[in-house]
Amino acid sequence: MPPFAAAGGVNSHPMIRTRHLLLKLFLAALVPAALVLIYLDAKITSTFTDKMWELPAKVYARPLELFAGARLKAEDLAYELEVLGYRSVANPSGPGQFARNRDRFEIYTRGFDFPGENEPARRVLVQLGGQRVQGLSAVGKGIDLMRLDPVQIGGIYPLHGEDRLLIRLADVPPTLRDGLLAVEDHRFYEHRGISFVGIARAAFSNLRSGQVVAGGSTITQQLVKNYYLTPERTLVRKLTEAAMAVLLDLHYEKDQILESYINEIYLGQEGPRSVHGFALASRHYFGAPLSQLGLHQQALLIGMIKGPSLYNPARNPERALERRNVVLAQMAEREVISAEEAQAARARPLDLHNKHRIRDSFPAYLDLVRRQLRLEYREEDLTTLGLSIYTPFDPLLQRQIESSTTTILGQLNKGGELESASVVTRFDSGEVAALVGGRSVRYAGFNRALDARRPAGSLLKPAVYLAALEQPGRFTLATVLADTPVKIPVPGGKPWEPRNYDREVHGDVLLYRALAHSYNLATARLGLELGPRRIVDVMRRLGIEGAIPEVPALSLGAGEYSPMDMAAMYQTIAAGGFRMPLRSIREVVDAQGDPLKRYPLEYDRTVSLQATNLLSYALRAVVQEGTGRGAYAYLPANFAVAGKTGTTNEGRDSWFAGFSGDLLAVTWIGRDDNGVTGLTGGTGALKVWAHFMAQASERPLGYRMPDGMQTFWIDASNGFLTGEGCPNARLLPFISGSQPRQSTNCTPRPSGVKDWFQSLFGG
Amino acid sequence: MIHMRSLARVLVFGLTLALVGCSTVGTAPTPAPPAVPYPPAPAPPRPVPPPPVPVPQPPARPPQPSTASAWQPLVEKAQQATALGDYEQALALLERAQRIDPESGEIYLQLARTQRAKGDVSQARAAAERGMLFCSSNSQCEALRALAR
Repeated sequence: MPPFAAAGGVNSHPMIRTRHLLLKLFLAALVPAALVLIYLDAKITSTFTDKMWELPAKVYARPLELFAGARLKAEDLAYELEVLGYRSVANPSGPGQFARNRDRFEIYTRGFDFPGENEPARRVLVQLGGQRVQGLSAVGKGIDLMRLDPVQIGGIYPLHGEDRLLIRLADVPPTLRDGLLAVEDHRFYEHRGISFVGIARAAFSNLRSGQVVAGGSTITQQLVKNYYLTPERTLVRKLTEAAMAVLLDLHYEKDQILESYINEIYLGQEGPRSVHGFALASRHYFGAPLSQLGLHQQALLIGMIKGPSLYNPARNPERALERRNVVLAQMAEREVISAEEAQAARARPLDLHNKHRIRDSFPAYLDLVRRQLRLEYREEDLTTLGLSIYTPFDPLLQRQIESSTTTILGQLNKGGELESASVVTRFDSGEVAALVGGRSVRYAGFNRALDARRPAGSLLKPAVYLAALEQPGRFTLATVLADTPVKIPVPGGKPWEPRNYDREVHGDVLLYRALAHSYNLATARLGLELGPRRIVDVMRRLGIEGAIPEVPALSLGAGEYSPMDMAAMYQTIAAGGFRMPLRSIREVVDAQGDPLKRYPLEYDRTVSLQATNLLSYALRAVVQEGTGRGAYAYLPANFAVAGKTGTTNEGRDSWFAGFSGDLLAVTWIGRDDNGVTGLTGGTGALKVWAHFMAQASERPLGYRMPDGMQTFWIDASNGFLTGEGCPNARLLPFISGSQPRQSTNCTPRPSGVKDWFQSLFGG
Repeated sequence: MIHMRSLARVLVFGLTLALVGCSTVGTAPTPAPPAVPYPPAPAPPRPVPPPPVPVPQPPARPPQPSTASAWQPLVEKAQQATALGDYEQALALLERAQRIDPESGEIYLQLARTQRAKGDVSQARAAAERGMLFCSSNSQCEALRALAR
C-alpha cells in the first residue's frame, strides 16, 4: 500500500492538495475579478457615447459682409483674412487661401453654414478702391452679396477647462488617418483591443535598448487612458487599461473607437486649457481646419502624440521638425504616401500659424456675452451642448478702439495709472460691436465697461434738457436761461452752490448754448424748475436701469453709472428717440444647426422724436462750438457728429459720449483709486473717442427732421425771432408752434455765410 | 461635414437665387434717398434781394452709392418667407438687410409689414415710425405713415 493512501484517500497527496488549493484560490479570485470586469464594462458602455457629446459653446464674431459699394479698407480686409487663418498664396487653389495684389484680393472662401442660410465655399475676386468694394465677382459673374466665414472669438468652457472640436471619421483626411494608424497602431483593425504582438515587440525593444522606448499601447489602450484613467504607470493601471481596452473593443466598432481617439487624444496646452483632438489641434497650431492642412502639418500632429510638450513646435521647433520627419519616413515605409511625397513634405518648414491668437483675445466682450447668456441658459448647457453663439462683435472696430485707447493713454501718460473703458455700438440696431474693459486690453480682469460705477458728471445733462424740450410750451432751444449763482438743496445737508467749470457767471444764455458749453449754473436752475422726478423719468425712458438718486443734484451728475449705462442712454438719443436693448448676441444655434433663440431688432419709441431732434441740435453744437470742439482736431471739418463731454470733481472722471452716422461710442478715463487725473471730458476721453471715430466711422451724422418741425431765424443774444442776415442771427429748429412770439423787427437779407447747421441742408 | 439638411438648403438657396434672378430682370432700381430733406422756411415779407454775391460753399457730400442691389434679394426672400408664414426667417433676413443699409425707408417698410403680419402691432408701429425718418418718396412715406398709426 502506498504511504499516503492510508492518510485520506487518493486526493490527499500533498501535490494534489496544493493543486486543489490553487484551484480554489483561482476560483475565489475569479469572483472579485469578474465583479471588477462587470464594473468596468458598465462604466465604459454608459459613458462612451456621452463623452462624445460634451461640447463647449462656440462664440462667433459678425461675418464680414461684402457687396459692391460696401465701405472697406484694403488693410482691414487683409486683417480679417489673417485672423480667420486664411493662407496667403500665389494662386488660391483650395478653401482658406487668398492672393493679394494691392487692392485686388482673390479669395477662396471656406463657406459657412449660417442659421437659415448657407454661404458656399468658392473662389471670389474682390476689387477695392477709394476705401470701398468696387467689384465683387466669381467665375466672371458679379455677386450681389456674400459673407466671409465668421471669426470664432472664444468659447464657453466647462470648469475643467477642456475644449472640443469634433470631426467625423469620414471627414478626416485619408493621409492623416492612415498615417496615424501606421505610426501608432498599424494592426488596429486586426487586434482585439490589445496587441500581444505589440507588447512583445515593445518588451523586446525595451530589453534591447535597456530603457523604455516603446509602450506597446494600441490606439484602443491610449483612448482608454485618455478617457478614463489617471496617468499613473503602475502595473494595476496597466492591467486595468488592458481589460478596458478589450471590453471597449468588444462593445464598439473599430471606426467608432478610431473616431473617438481622433477627437480625444491630448495634443498640447492653450494657456489654461488642454487641446484634445486633431481638429482642435489643427486650429490651435495652424489656425486652419483639419481638412486644409498640408501633409507636413498632418505629420507634425501625428508626431506630437508621443509627447505634446516634448515635441511642442512653438517651444522646441528643431525637435518637432525631427519628429515630424521621422513620422513622414514611417508613413512612406508603410506606403501611406510615396517616397516623393515624403521628400517634398520633409523639405517644408513647420508652417505654424498661431501668431494672431484671436480666440479669447477679447475678454471684455466675451464677458458681456456670457452675462447675457447666463440670464437664459444654465452653465451646464452652455458648456456641454455644443451651441453656436452668433454675436455682432466686430474685430475691425475692436482693433481700432484698442489702438485709440492705447495711443491716447500713452500720450496722456499720467504716471501710468490712468484706466479707461469704452463701449462701441451700431446705434441703428442697438448691437454692441466692440468693448474695452481696461487699459490692458488682453487682460481678463475687472471689466470697467460693465462694472465700473462712477459719477457721470455732465454726461447726464442731456437728460435734463430733453425733459425740458419735451414741453415745447415752456422750453425751446431759444429759451433764455439764467446762468447765475444758485443753491441746490441737498437732502439732510447744507445746500450746495455749484460753480461753472470756468468759474464764471454768464448771465442770460439761450438753452442750446447752455448745453453746448455745459454751464452748471443754468443747468442746475433748469433742473430745479423741472424737478428731479421728471429727470429720473427721462433717464429711465432713455434706458438707464440701475439706481438713480432722485435728488436735485441729479442734473449735475449725481449717482454712479457704468459706461454701459451711458451707452444705453445715448443709444436712444442717437437713434432719434427709439430705445433698443443693447444686444451682444444675435442668435443661439444648437449643435445640429437649428436655431434655438433669436435676439431680434426691437424698437421702443420712449421719448418724443421732435424733442430728441432738438436735443441733437444742441449736442452737435457741443462739438461745433462748445466743450467738444477738440473732436475736430481728429475728424475732418465737414464730418458731422454730436456728443457730450463729462467731467467730475477735479477731473476724477473724464467722459465723452457721442455718435456719428453709424457708430455710437462712450469712453471713460479715470483712476481705479478714484484719484485726481487733472483731465476734463474734453482733454481726456474726447481724444480717444475722436481718434477712434476718425478711423472707424464710415458715415457722418445726417440730418432728418421729423414731422411737425420747422426752422426759424433767432437772435442769439435775446432769443427773439429775427431774419436771415440780421445781427446775431442763427437758424434753429423748433417744434411747430413753439417758436418765440417776440421779434426783433429786423429786415432779413441774404447772408452769404452758412453756419454748420445750414450746411446740413446741402450746399 | 455634409449633412443632408445642409445640402438641401444649398439646393433651395440656389433655386431661389435662380428664380429671383429671373424675376428681377427689368425691375427699376430703387432710387437712392436724397442726401437731406428740404426744410420749409418761415415766410416773413422779403424785399427784392440784391444780386447774389459768390460765397464759399461748404463742400457738397458725394452721393452715396446705392446698396439696393445687395439687399434687394434679401427683401425678396423675406417676402417669400412671410408668404409661407415663416416670420422669424423673414425678420432675420430683413434685419440683415437693415444692417447693410440702415437708412433705407423700403427696408423699414418691409420690417413694419412683416411685424404686422406676425401680429406684433407695437413693433410694426415703431419700425414704421423709424422708417419715416428715412422715407424717400411720397408713396413710401405715406405707406409708412399708415403703419405708424
